[in-house]
Amino acid sequence: MATEEKTEREALRIGVYVCHCGLNIAGTVNCEEVSHFAAALPHVVVAKDNRYACSDQGQELIKKDIKEHELNRIVVASCSPRLHEPTFRKACEEAGLNKYLFEMANIREHCSWVHLHEKEKATEKAKDLVKAAVAKVALLEPATETEVQILRKAMVIGAGIAGIQAALDLADTGYKVYLVEKEPSIGGRMAQIDKTFPTMDCSICILAPKMSDVGRHPNIELFTNSEVQEVKGHIGNFKVKVLKKPRYVTHDCSACGDCVEACPVTAPNEFDVGLATRRAIYTPFAQAVPSTYIIDRDMCLNKEGLMACDKCLKACEREAIDFDMQPETLELEVGTIIVATGAEVHDPSSLLNYGYTQYPNVITSLEFERLINAGGPSGGNLIRPSDKKIPDSVAFIQCVGSRSEKGKHYCSNVCCMNTIKDSLLIKEHWPQVKIYVFYVDIRAFGKGFEDLYRRAKEEGVIFIRGLPAEIVENHKTHDLWLIGENTLQKELYRVNVGMAVLSVGIEPCQDSGVIQRLFTLSRTPDGFFMEAHPKLRPVDAPTGGIFLAGCAESPKDIKDSVTQASAAAARAGILMAQGKVTVEAITPIPIPENCRVCGLCAQVCPYNAIIVDKERKLVKVAEAACAGCGTCGAECQFEALHMRHFTNAQITAQIDALTEEHADEKIIAFCCNWCSYAGADFAGVSRMQYPPNVRIIRTMCSGRVSPAFVEHAFARGAGAVLVAGCHPGDCHYIDANYQTQKRIERLWKKMEGLGIDKERLQLLWASASEGERVASKIREMQATLNKLTPEEVEKSRAVFARNHGRG
Amino acid sequence: MPGTMDGVDVSQKLWRKPLDAEKVKLTKAKIQIITDLCKGCGFCIEFCPKKVLERSDQINKKGAYPPRVVDEGKCAMCGFCTAICPDFAIYTVEKTCEGSSKDGEDK
Repeated sequence: MATEEKTEREALRIGVYVCHCGLNIAGTVNCEEVSHFAAALPHVVVAKDNRYACSDQGQELIKKDIKEHELNRIVVASCSPRLHEPTFRKACEEAGLNKYLFEMANIREHCSWVHLHEKEKATEKAKDLVKAAVAKVALLEPATETEVQILRKAMVIGAGIAGIQAALDLADTGYKVYLVEKEPSIGGRMAQIDKTFPTMDCSICILAPKMSDVGRHPNIELFTNSEVQEVKGHIGNFKVKVLKKPRYVTHDCSACGDCVEACPVTAPNEFDVGLATRRAIYTPFAQAVPSTYIIDRDMCLNKEGLMACDKCLKACEREAIDFDMQPETLELEVGTIIVATGAEVHDPSSLLNYGYTQYPNVITSLEFERLINAGGPSGGNLIRPSDKKIPDSVAFIQCVGSRSEKGKHYCSNVCCMNTIKDSLLIKEHWPQVKIYVFYVDIRAFGKGFEDLYRRAKEEGVIFIRGLPAEIVENHKTHDLWLIGENTLQKELYRVNVGMAVLSVGIEPCQDSGVIQRLFTLSRTPDGFFMEAHPKLRPVDAPTGGIFLAGCAESPKDIKDSVTQASAAAARAGILMAQGKVTVEAITPIPIPENCRVCGLCAQVCPYNAIIVDKERKLVKVAEAACAGCGTCGAECQFEALHMRHFTNAQITAQIDALTEEHADEKIIAFCCNWCSYAGADFAGVSRMQYPPNVRIIRTMCSGRVSPAFVEHAFARGAGAVLVAGCHPGDCHYIDANYQTQKRIERLWKKMEGLGIDKERLQLLWASASEGERVASKIREMQATLNKLTPEEVEKSRAVFARNHGRG
Repeated sequence: MPGTMDGVDVSQKLWRKPLDAEKVKLTKAKIQIITDLCKGCGFCIEFCPKKVLERSDQINKKGAYPPRVVDEGKCAMCGFCTAICPDFAIYTVEKTCEGSSKDGEDK
């Protein structure tokens, strides 16, 4: 790489290549004219137009010119950098030029394709875009990408089926795994379920072997009854504090259970959803791993440091009980983290019309699982709580807490199939029981699902479309009347059943907010953790080195959880196998001379990548944690952060180039790389036509757009300014675009105060698929421009020119 | 509705009376108080982990107010009252006839 840096501080020799892209560009833009124009720009040594710049010949031409003409900066005016920047960067590198000395002008998606019928204006725009690219490339600096070492250890948070699978996969690959579980045993929800759909195999029978594998695996260190307290560091080098809460039972426990007999305190067992009791000293279920007991100190008589009862102590022959056990905090270092913290089930007690908690025979689907389970509180007999008899009819009510205004809006994914499975389980044991399923839609979309649905219908399960509006109880018999409308037959029904099962939905964990903060994750509006890309990076979290698996990411069944867990393990494994990652050289470099250590940059950083050392008056950037959004750079008032590849000087140079002529007729647009720039690309691909007066400047995130850039554009006489980013909550950099919003709102206030029409500054949220949104915003802004008077332009120019500079 | 149901502490979330609540064999206690030995220190009342006792309004021979049983069904027979009573005035014995009294209903 060292040879690439020979270009530093040499005289600028810029090469410009204008691509025809067949007729894609040349059909609208006069490419020859653009290249002639480019040839006259400062420092441009070579300017050529070319049919296909990206072809092998096109690339060879650039490489040859770099050597022949000793070019040290390259501009290619062609398609979107999102498409071919890597191609040309590679070509530069092959010719011995540092890849950070390359810049692209997007004259296809942002020009020829969107101004098909305005050839002259499109050519003028292409010239402008090339001019801006040349202005920026002149200020580009060579950079080397830093390498970050990846520790070859992983941590898995949550030991349900997803966490178990991820841990086993990683451990089998040969990596050390720390598996952290909040509950006293691993197993999660799957351990509570009786049978699994669509194959109907016994849940615990297939889970228990995996659980004991985890317990035995030499590469897995298991922490149960433990919680993550703090996460520091970044991809490759996380430092995680884990709080190991005391069990009050030591490793000497042989799980004989003598203590349980002696314990005088009973409580409902969480594992059986309160349908069975446990003692204050207990093991959650027979197959629990680790196979040892735990004392629930909230229940135990020995609270508040008083030893009132010693019955378990006396009963334990192996003297394995230790009431003095203290919580331990462990500091673990890992390279990758998999978050598999699972989900909770919806609590239907708020739906008063279904009478859950009022009518004993209204139960939830999770309670049903424990009732039908042979190891459960009723020994597998489907008894109804009121009289402990097998009911002659059972109703299942779907979508309780899902797809509704009263609960969550989303579909919980598993409840339809779970109910179908449950109905078949009843039919298997008690064929005479009449079964009704009240549904909105039956979603049997997976492999083998439709067969199971058909089987249920064949077995005589009655499916009625239309949820009951209300359940009414007969106080004497505790039988239930279900009243509602059959929406297929358009008639009202009143159905009498012995027991009703509410098919409750899946909800994000209550502590997912805490987990989100700990691991710098982001959540969808539904509350589940968001993946880095919904299609192409579905198990990566937006923060590097962190991966998602199981219901923490979205509601899903066992098969999908296992699939996702293995995928997450593979993704984490790739990082650890490589042992290092390179970080794109677009991270900020602090300039200590300018820095006043105010710490504002650290406050806006979505990744906690900036460390402020107030004592030593230093700001440091943890390069591996930084994603390069640049919102710190926009926040800094003192030019103390050098945002590599998107420096203040480079962006200002682009603005200057674009506003050199006819600035008052132009819209200067700042678009973020991931959503709005891509949205504008999409508008191009779809040939959506919009006015050609817009000039787009690309930043990685809208958070990079410093108010100074906007003010500078106005000071240069720009007619209007557009700042566009991802939709709030969808930001590629977690929440950096909230800073954008704040800054634009401040600017609007300022403009109002100065008597400048604030319509001239627009903020747009547009996703990569919302090309029309971008196009229509530009049309709308063009209308504003048309009404603009020269006096107004002059006013904003003068006011901001005076105002500008700040310090 | 947190409280007790047949001697089982239930919480808001796990509201249902466990199916095996009646089958749970906990030793039922008979609390014996030798009222005239009591000097009314109140340790047993204060430290009973199940809060089974309260101060009575009957004066004893020593001129003290001995404890009285509020809810014998809640007694877990841990024997802590016996251990901390300075005057050997309280002890518990196991009830022999099982299930004869229906105490310990929810409050």
